[in-house]
Amino acid sequence: MFRFAQPFTRVMLLLALVVLAVACAAPTAAPTSAPPTKAPVATSAPAPAATTAPAATAVPATKAPDPTKPAAAATNFRIAIGVDMDTLDPAGQTTTTVSNVVDYSAETLVTIDEKGETQPLLAKSWDVSKDGLTYTFVLQSGVKFHDGKAFDANAAKMNIERILDPDVKVGTRGPFMSIGKVEAVDASTVRITLKTPFPALLQAFSMTTSGMLSPTLIEKTAATYKNITQPTGTGPYVLKEYTKGAQLVFAKNADYWGKKPYYDTVTIRIVPEAATRESLLLANQVDAIILPPISDVPALQRNSAVKVITAPSNRIIFISINNTVKGLDNPKVRQALNYAVDKEAIIKSVMFSAGYELDAPMAPSLFGYCKVGSYAYDVNKAKALLKEANITAPLKLAFISPTGRYVQDFQASQAVAGYLKEVGVETDLKTMDWPSYVATITKPVAENTTNLHLLGWAPGFLDASQQMTFFSISQHVPKGLATHFYTNADVDKKIQAADAEIDAKKRAELYCDINKTIWNEAPVIFLWNQAFPIVHSAKVKNVTFRPNEKFYAIYAEPAN
Amino acid sequence: MLRYLQQRFIAALITLFGITIIVFAILRMLPGDPARVIAGLLATQEDVERLRVQLGLDQPMLIQYANFLGNLLRGDLGISARTSQPVLDEVMARLPATMQLAVVSMLIAALIGIPVGVIAATRRNSILDYILSIITLFGVSMPVYWLGLMLIVIFAVNLQLLPAAGNEKIESLILPSLTLAAFSIALIARMTRSSMLEVLHQDYVRTARAKGLRERGVVFRHALQNAFIPVITVLGLQFGTLLGGAVLTESVFGWPGIGLLMLDSIFARDYPVVQGVVFIFAAMFIGLNVAVDVLYAYIDPRIHYG
Repeated sequence: MFRFAQPFTRVMLLLALVVLAVACAAPTAAPTSAPPTKAPVATSAPAPAATTAPAATAVPATKAPDPTKPAAAATNFRIAIGVDMDTLDPAGQTTTTVSNVVDYSAETLVTIDEKGETQPLLAKSWDVSKDGLTYTFVLQSGVKFHDGKAFDANAAKMNIERILDPDVKVGTRGPFMSIGKVEAVDASTVRITLKTPFPALLQAFSMTTSGMLSPTLIEKTAATYKNITQPTGTGPYVLKEYTKGAQLVFAKNADYWGKKPYYDTVTIRIVPEAATRESLLLANQVDAIILPPISDVPALQRNSAVKVITAPSNRIIFISINNTVKGLDNPKVRQALNYAVDKEAIIKSVMFSAGYELDAPMAPSLFGYCKVGSYAYDVNKAKALLKEANITAPLKLAFISPTGRYVQDFQASQAVAGYLKEVGVETDLKTMDWPSYVATITKPVAENTTNLHLLGWAPGFLDASQQMTFFSISQHVPKGLATHFYTNADVDKKIQAADAEIDAKKRAELYCDINKTIWNEAPVIFLWNQAFPIVHSAKVKNVTFRPNEKFYAIYAEPAN
Repeated sequence: MLRYLQQRFIAALITLFGITIIVFAILRMLPGDPARVIAGLLATQEDVERLRVQLGLDQPMLIQYANFLGNLLRGDLGISARTSQPVLDEVMARLPATMQLAVVSMLIAALIGIPVGVIAATRRNSILDYILSIITLFGVSMPVYWLGLMLIVIFAVNLQLLPAAGNEKIESLILPSLTLAAFSIALIARMTRSSMLEVLHQDYVRTARAKGLRERGVVFRHALQNAFIPVITVLGLQFGTLLGGAVLTESVFGWPGIGLLMLDSIFARDYPVVQGVVFIFAAMFIGLNVAVDVLYAYIDPRIHYG
């Protein structure tokens, strides 16, 4: 009779116990916000070869805060981003937001400001020889890595040589391939000799890829040489804790050589869902977020508790046209497609104003940009151009678009398809997941079945050369990523000349000239320069941006 | 019992072997070049090729599979193509969070679902039964994504009571586990109700009532015990689903679990991680099924194995 009650109760009890055990074992190890009162922690201890990183790994702080000072409540700045870290090794960077996080700890020789201009960072000055083949960097003095090692010419040399080492996984090695030799002239002077002139090299040194790490990590014999998990650099913040998929906690670098930031700690939370990031901000659980749901941007702009920054970025969005397809090989047809699309209307109604209509084949923040024209919406002109090109039967085009890769990408493609239909161009728009998409658009010309596809291009750094590779014949897929097969030998020659031109003024003029040709020949449907929305609480200030889809909040502080 | 477990163990090994083949094959049938996806769009062709060799993707398919299986037998799940970290580390860094969420959700589902089902069954066709039926109908049909966001807006943004995301505090568990449990609560309640209704018409229930037992005794000692077998089955299956199907909940609440790792890895075509996660889940699911079977015998003495 009582047999039943017992097992049933036992099962439930067992369940309850399991739950309790699991709940208690929860990673409740929230970082203690109180500053350590202990004496300075081992300044000499290098970051261990943390190849087997468990849930969280920690780096010893270089120095604990002064114990004699009254322990004021530690201040913490919280920001939510959407992607988890793939690698914390600067050299391995391929994702802008991950680089943005690494920038807290690892610094580069030069950096860019809000306008995209090159500014000194770890190099306080530089000199380029007349022939453009020798770069001499004078380094800041008194700079130390988080593990106490001094940053000097030797450290810089080791880091640069590491980027060139084919054994190391480097995401964007291309811009550094012109480097032939790196020498430490003296403790604070590095001389780089190039194999061929590459005037954009200075800018390339602003990429997180060339972030300087402690020699302890990158010594060729070190276990971490190929696989770095701790960005032990010279930056204003030291990585204290990284919980995979959840968050990174940085602590202020007490020994920082430059201007010291306000906040004692910075917590970067990983929250993939845009609506949740927005909620975190509105609930006051973070101070700033990037990329809110784009459709909520107008409402956020009306909300006085938060401030919205729609930062211009380096990314241009366009519909790539297969220039080899019959009909599309005629520039008039491609111009017609450009005139057929009302960019302004799409930006307003589909993009929620998070974009700036293109007036050149590159973003305005790039060196070498010049405003060249506009394809203002004009159905009649589009139709007339199609007629001139002898397109009598309606064009039927295969059109594909990613979903969720760029702001409102698929929605924008749908709108474009609608506009194209107005001028008698029929498309069958399809979407697919990103890896399949990349595989489809990078097929060699003979197997390439797409006629139109939406794509975004963000140059590795803000120089026209990084955009021009997209229009070079040598970069046609599958060799490179010129997915449109646009072929103009003259443009190609001019690109090569501009890429190698040492005189900056002349170089800018050369690019401007190429911009005009490309714009007129319209290898793609030019759409917009995508904005990068950052939203922060009105209670904080100095949250700003860099025009390469990065937020810049190192010097954030309370608004009053 | 021991022989039974032995048999199940051998069957499990065969199943797992089959799973390795299926996962391996399906992943490679997906379009998309892992080397290109991982290297990024701006990588040079040379770097992509170099990465392909480093990842072993230049090798023939059979060799790749043999390597995978050989490493697996040595307990090595390989190195993540995306993060260059051991797959086992990547998984173990996230498994506790997923387990925690699944177990708590399961408990909430059982503690709410079973009583609701019993009440609905004993008050059959009453207003209460109808109300509970409607609520459970909502529970099974509500999209997880929408429910999660609604809970966040109400409890985190408007009432400012609970964390909107993350898992660093114990109260962080509340919203995601409720969201994840919603479907299971409804399913378990409906299962319990129908199973109870069947049992309540049995002769032994009438006998129990006839000999003057109080209704509560009849329901809990006689009916529920016998109605429990199908409920246990659902509980077991649901737990498996909760472990694997938490992707949306994890994504909405930024919960650092396996679901998100899986998603990131599929989109990066990170073969080793996807293979590893699927394998571990398969092993857990099989283990769970055996556990449920053993539980049957424990709850219902009429069931014997051997």
